Amino acid sequence: MFWQQLVNGLTLGSTYSLVALGYTLIMGVLNIINMAHGEIFMIGAFVGLYLVTYFEVNIFVAMAGAMVTSALLGCLMETVALRPLRRKAVSHLAPLISTIGVAIFLESLALNLFGPQSQAFPTELAAVQMQLGPIRISLVQIIILGMSFGLMFVLRFWLSKTRVGKAIRTTAENIETANLLGINTNKIIFLTVALASGLGGIAGVLVGLSFNAVEPTMGLSMGLKGLAVLILGGMGNITGAMLGGLILGIAEVFTVAYGASSYRDAVAFGMIILILFIRPQGLFGKRQGGRF
Amino acid sequence: MDMLLNQYYLQIAVFVMVNAILGVSIYLTLSTGQLSLGNAGFMSIGAYTCAILTVKAGFPVYLAIPIGGIAASLMSIIIGFPALRLTGIYLAIATLGFGEVVRVIVLNLKITNGALGISGIPTLGTKISKMLSSFGLPQKFGGLSVQQTSTLLVLLILVLILVFLVFFCVRLNRSRVGRAFAAIKADESAAEAMGINTTYYKLLAFALGALIAGIAGGLSAHLTFFIGPKDFAYHRTVEILLYAVLGGSDLVFGPIVGALILTLLPELLRSASNYRLMIYGALLVTMMAFRPQGLISEETVRFWKSKLGRGSK
Repeated sequence: MFWQQLVNGLTLGSTYSLVALGYTLIMGVLNIINMAHGEIFMIGAFVGLYLVTYFEVNIFVAMAGAMVTSALLGCLMETVALRPLRRKAVSHLAPLISTIGVAIFLESLALNLFGPQSQAFPTELAAVQMQLGPIRISLVQIIILGMSFGLMFVLRFWLSKTRVGKAIRTTAENIETANLLGINTNKIIFLTVALASGLGGIAGVLVGLSFNAVEPTMGLSMGLKGLAVLILGGMGNITGAMLGGLILGIAEVFTVAYGASSYRDAVAFGMIILILFIRPQGLFGKRQGGRF
Repeated sequence: MDMLLNQYYLQIAVFVMVNAILGVSIYLTLSTGQLSLGNAGFMSIGAYTCAILTVKAGFPVYLAIPIGGIAASLMSIIIGFPALRLTGIYLAIATLGFGEVVRVIVLNLKITNGALGISGIPTLGTKISKMLSSFGLPQKFGGLSVQQTSTLLVLLILVLILVFLVFFCVRLNRSRVGRAFAAIKADESAAEAMGINTTYYKLLAFALGALIAGIAGGLSAHLTFFIGPKDFAYHRTVEILLYAVLGGSDLVFGPIVGALILTLLPELLRSASNYRLMIYGALLVTMMAFRPQGLISEETVRFWKSKLGRGSK
């Protein structure tokens, strides 16, 4: 029972980590919270769903499609809602409100396009299950775990070792200095937003697979979890986002398994309050200094 | 006269007033530069406290509504204290999360009747006409029907509350507290260096906002006869935020004008109701890009004052 729940928690948590990574990347580079991330994630889930059901493509192709669509959507958001604000000196709340606008727009768009009902992925994938000692694990869970951990490690490596990754980290450290050093920061910001949104799109397909439900309102609840992880792990901290997501996922699954199943969505918020009281910089955050 | 005072128009006027009160609530929190995304949550606490008190415990309405407001305010202090020590973004997230948690709790508690919500809440209108008849006063005046009279009286009460709130805010701005709010909004570190206890004032503004949101919640419960968890979801918060964004949050009149426009607009554009939220979203983005200070800012007032002043000379 315990091990089974742990695996379930890890699966759920790894999707939270992916969502939180999107928030963290944008937080790190642009220093804003992208409230539309949950909705971009939801659109990604729908694109994946429609690719699988109507075009009958492989699930991995669907994920790639979802990633590309979400990344494009992210770029569009950056051009329309974020870039105009950077040129002017506006209150730090302006980008937050602007992205809330994007979020509301996308959610309503999805409601009009896809309808309010929850739709499911074809069931062949969920039916395959394996018995590993005391644990029963489905193929879907393996795909989710493999994809999310794989992406997280690739991202980690990419950020720390490659030239572009270093440029992103420099921009996160200090945007003006990065500019002076000859980094095209506008390009880096574009790239980061696309990357974050693309990760969100993949996470959307993975979550749609694991819950077997895709609906327009999934963006808001998932976005909230991602925000909780962001605070839990420390703002702009990539390791924090990865581990924080896993912690939240495991905590939620155990809450459901050992008692209060209907209060599952309240766990994330309870953790935020607790963290803000005890360790406001987040579990893995430093008080000051470099973000990544 | 009869056409102007039909029930539909009166009802819309009542909603405009309640939304304007909500606009004042977000204005107060924003006046320290803090963004609270939990106004719907506080509204919900106020509405449920009030509805439970009147329906289940038999409290009189005029007592239950303030109690609802105070309950929301106390809750805001518990939420705000850890969140306000940090930068504004934490408060926005914490309050957003708070609103969702209130929704989850309301959905699960027995006393709030879960997803079904509480119905059969005595409306202010019927209460008033009952009170009138118990005083031996006529339930209708002139050519007005009983319903029109009671709705008009409700509207009068709401207008009085709103006028009081506006007066309160205008006076507040000229007081020590209001100046502290303005200083914190302009530059928090500078304000702290001037010896202003920023945490205290931010918490005060936040609690005041929650108090008014709670009262507005209580009022709306007693106006619509039914409340459910869906009435106070995230979209409600966004709507309240829009009042301030559209109208402007420099002056107390900004959110009130915003509330007026955004309550009337959907009524006029009934045919486009499916696209209402899309329009709202686009509106938020456009306002931020082109006029982040909202329709009415201090410059606007100064501009018109100087223009009209020159005209009269």
